[in-house]
Amino acid sequence: MAQLLAPALPGRARMRRSAPAAVSTVALIVMIGVCSSLQPGVLTVEGLTLVLSATVPLVIAAQAQMTLMAVGDIDLGIGNFVGLVTVVSATLLVSSPLKGVLVLAGLVAAYAVLGLLIHLRQVPALIATLGASFVWLGLGLFLLPTPGGTTPGWLASFGAWQPAGLPAPLVPLVVVALLVYLLSARSALGVRMRGLGSNPVALRRAGLRPVASRVAAYATAGVLGVLSGLVLASQTGGGDVSSASSYTLMTVAAVILGGGSFAGGTAVPWGAAVGGVTLGLVSVVLSLLDVRSDMQSAVQGVIVLAVLAGRVVVGKVLR
Amino acid sequence: MNIRVAGPRSWSGPWVWGFAAAALVWLVILVISGQGGGQTVSLALSLAPYLVIVGLGQMLVVTAGPGNIDVSVASVISLAGFVSVAVASATGSAAVGVLAGIGAGVLVAAVSTVAILGLSVPPIIATLAAGLVASSITLSTANGFTAVPDAGLRAALNLRPAGVPVLALAIAVLTVLVAALLRRTVYGRSLVAVGQNRRAAERAGIPVARVVAMTYLLSGALAGLTGALLAAYIAPSADLGTRYLLDSVAVVVIGGTLISGGRAVPVGVWGAALFFILLDGLVNLVGWSTAAQNLLKGGLVLFVLFLAGGGDRSGGLASLFRRRPRPAAATPTTITTTITGDDTDG
Amino acid sequence: MHVDNLPAGGAAPPGTDTGPAGPPPVVTARGVTKAYGRTRALAGVDLAVRAGEVLGLVGHNGAGKSTLMRVLAGLEPCDTGTVLVHGRQASAGDFRTVRMAYQETSLCPDLTVAENMWVSSRHCLPRVRWRRAASDAVRRRLDEMFPGHGVSPRDRVEDLSLSRRQMVEIARACLVDRLDLLILDEPTESLGPDAARSLYAYVRRLTEAGTAVLLISHRIREVLSVADRVAVLRDGAVTAERPASGLTEPDVLGLMGAHVAAPPTFGAPTAAGTIARDTVAELLGATGPGLREVTLRVGKGEVVGLAGLAGQGQQEVLERLWRPVRRDTTVGVSRAYVPGDRQRSGVLPLWSVGDNLIVTALRGIARRGLRRPAEERAVVADWVKRLSIRGGAEAGITELSGGNQQKVIVARAFASPAGLVLLDDPFRGVDVHTKTDLYGLIRQEAAKGRSVVWYSSENAEMAHCDRVYVFRAGRVVAELTGEEISEERIIGVSFAEKGEDD
Repeated sequence: MAQLLAPALPGRARMRRSAPAAVSTVALIVMIGVCSSLQPGVLTVEGLTLVLSATVPLVIAAQAQMTLMAVGDIDLGIGNFVGLVTVVSATLLVSSPLKGVLVLAGLVAAYAVLGLLIHLRQVPALIATLGASFVWLGLGLFLLPTPGGTTPGWLASFGAWQPAGLPAPLVPLVVVALLVYLLSARSALGVRMRGLGSNPVALRRAGLRPVASRVAAYATAGVLGVLSGLVLASQTGGGDVSSASSYTLMTVAAVILGGGSFAGGTAVPWGAAVGGVTLGLVSVVLSLLDVRSDMQSAVQGVIVLAVLAGRVVVGKVLR
Repeated sequence: MNIRVAGPRSWSGPWVWGFAAAALVWLVILVISGQGGGQTVSLALSLAPYLVIVGLGQMLVVTAGPGNIDVSVASVISLAGFVSVAVASATGSAAVGVLAGIGAGVLVAAVSTVAILGLSVPPIIATLAAGLVASSITLSTANGFTAVPDAGLRAALNLRPAGVPVLALAIAVLTVLVAALLRRTVYGRSLVAVGQNRRAAERAGIPVARVVAMTYLLSGALAGLTGALLAAYIAPSADLGTRYLLDSVAVVVIGGTLISGGRAVPVGVWGAALFFILLDGLVNLVGWSTAAQNLLKGGLVLFVLFLAGGGDRSGGLASLFRRRPRPAAATPTTITTTITGDDTDG
Repeated sequence: MHVDNLPAGGAAPPGTDTGPAGPPPVVTARGVTKAYGRTRALAGVDLAVRAGEVLGLVGHNGAGKSTLMRVLAGLEPCDTGTVLVHGRQASAGDFRTVRMAYQETSLCPDLTVAENMWVSSRHCLPRVRWRRAASDAVRRRLDEMFPGHGVSPRDRVEDLSLSRRQMVEIARACLVDRLDLLILDEPTESLGPDAARSLYAYVRRLTEAGTAVLLISHRIREVLSVADRVAVLRDGAVTAERPASGLTEPDVLGLMGAHVAAPPTFGAPTAAGTIARDTVAELLGATGPGLREVTLRVGKGEVVGLAGLAGQGQQEVLERLWRPVRRDTTVGVSRAYVPGDRQRSGVLPLWSVGDNLIVTALRGIARRGLRRPAEERAVVADWVKRLSIRGGAEAGITELSGGNQQKVIVARAFASPAGLVLLDDPFRGVDVHTKTDLYGLIRQEAAKGRSVVWYSSENAEMAHCDRVYVFRAGRVVAELTGEEISEERIIGVSFAEKGEDD
């Protein structure tokens, strides 16, 4: 009997862990179903492209958030950071591409330095990233005080890219999730990052330096933030530092919806992708349902709380 | 026992810096503008109180220990602005309007509190979500909002006999009350104890959940008060509170309150708030943009934060978010033994 | 013995029982001392672990076993003395062939078994396709060590049962290209009997291949059946080293000895059986995580001890009494708690002695939520004087020595009006004079009608109790009263396997 029960244990645990992502996936399918019943055109390639494209930058930013949550930190600056990148790509990247690329690389380096300082000075990432968010905002306003500018041609043509037979947004969604999966779940570096979030003592006993893991995680988040900003700029065709300010909560929520945790130690790239698309679709469904745009943020807030409440319940049931 | 006002050991340093920085900025303004400094101070004193009120609430929350932060203050201020103006014009009483604004803040905070304590949602997410709900309500109220702020309240807020704003005096009294709350009441002592060491506070018989709940509700009430006053001073708008999120955290950090919790410095909030307001004035005077303001503020927060450093990471944010049991770390304390020189027998 | 290779000034070689013909020592400790603050954990340890032998290390709680292990594994430097690996003064790199399996495991719970192998054994894994290599290696090693283990390299550690985690931890320690010394810290504590047998069979194979094994366990019979030699650690020094053959369990228990009992300068405990007391707290068949069918009662004015090895359910009992949420626990009076780990759950570090002391009593003194400073000061002054706390009420708590800090924490509980005071092993690392003061305090307060429930890992302290419950594996295995309470008796009962000796 005990031998029968014992192998069932990990299965149950795995079920508990993947339950949030599964719930998100079900919600995603339901929402697409609702969309297509309201607007039959949604299920065509063009329809899906339209519906999904807005979620791409959000999902990439959610991957950045996920990387930091894997080491046990939270990034409250990602929204403004993405906004700053759109500004850089609408200004410097057009006027002097080399300088633009250097600035983007510098932003990634700034993220790494932020991680280094957070680790060395042992300050809460929460407050440090909140402070940094205003630096990003200030830099963005400095470069482009009012929304505008134009994105470089190559970026615009990426935004307008229409492959035959499949919705274009799926490509960046899947490619980025795959890359983050390979890095965070399959590589040795990923093991170090998740190990830091999981049990830093074990890491230290094994002779691995936690600071390197944290800096690597922040640098990765910086790269993903830059990617997210570039994609967003390619869609809007201009720069606006506050265009992504809602991403800060949305990315955290996406990771949570996808099965991530605040405790660190877990990487859920696929979950974050599903969670991000689900959250992005909420606004599509709400607008198709003629819910006033005022109420959209409330609905998103309630969804996050409901998912967390559901998790508490599921955790108790599956214990 | 440090029942006396301002126990010298833990108090002398931190709050001075905000005032020193404010004085420095004031001198720079004086030199650049070449005009009477009194007017600058008077203006700063009439603008700073709004930041001080919300900052005091944020200070209480931060004092409750690592991971505690109230990021709903911005939306609460905006919401409370509309609620108070609407209620005041409906009832004709500015006082009832202010109370309604405070009530709105408490209601939003109640949502966060239930999520934090009932659902074990980390405070940042709980307050963010509650703030989102609040901002939705604000947006739907803002559509076609016609009521105007109470003229009497606005006049009172602008009252400056001999250049000293009445509001500043009132908020100074409020600051003293908060300081007394922290030092003279059971709740205040419990809050400071919880912030220093949550486990120890729990073992010392302090009802931790009740103290934390009270703290978030107070922060909501103070943010609501800010919104009610600010709406009367300026006008209700959907982004009335936007700038107060970072500013409230920043004045707490710069004011000398321990960011890891357990030490609150109410006076420091004043110094830091004056510094911020004067800095705004200086930036305007020089003709710098809002970009420079944001850069300066963000940079200052990071500078103070990294300069002050944090406590032990093991007691930091991550540990608060942990709910699953973890293997105990083999720290030297767990293997400390009972052997002392006196104990060994031959 | 390669004594010639030793650096000058090294302590004399330790007494050898196996004679000069024995195999060379792998790791040798000479005159090793180690102190944490004022607490001396190791007071001059001489010990050699030889290639191809199993050395059993026994000792009571707090004898310094964990510290010694960490020093031998190169995890912590010693204060004085030397640690030699293969007869040479060891530098950090030399310890790579010394591996340790931790009792509490050193695994990342969120990582898979294979990933954990990478963390600790990455030097022996290829850079590409390491996951497969680690999976193969750990599966092979687990198959060798624990046939039928049921662990997959892809399982996450947090999903594994406690015994499987322990298997993975031991396999992790053995997964290295060259293993000279394997340190096993209470390896069988969470393993079942079959797994324990498999482990020891593997240990035999290891030693035949020339690896040394250091086995730390409080299961004396197990140590005697597996080890070639047994070393007894007592008060931070090795007090005996004997060949295991011919030793019996009582012999070893005798060698482990008793601490000297503190002088009974204050009122001796009264025999509880003779006086009928009102019950203030009771557990009736309490069962739950870490507890099995525990029934105990606490009378008014009674000092009840919870004894036994660490972690056998005593703290769970305290937890039940502190927060009586379940129906099997009834507590009729208010409670106060004295935590043992004062850094983690005792001290409020930013406050003064007085603030720390009064924080619990505050609630009772205050009127309508407002504090009454004068009354508080009086109470604080009274307790500072009564326990002669150095530095007085105004000193910062962190400026005090550990013993004085502990006095403040104890005073915090007794300054409150609580009718039941729970002590969670609070006197670890406290000097003898402070302890004597605090023992006296406990008896005085009990005489005033307060009840005390006292968990202690130091059995000598139990002599101050009226009644003692001895715990093993979450059960009460013995209840001792009055004269029956002695250190030998408690050690005997708590080490007895399956309680059949009682």
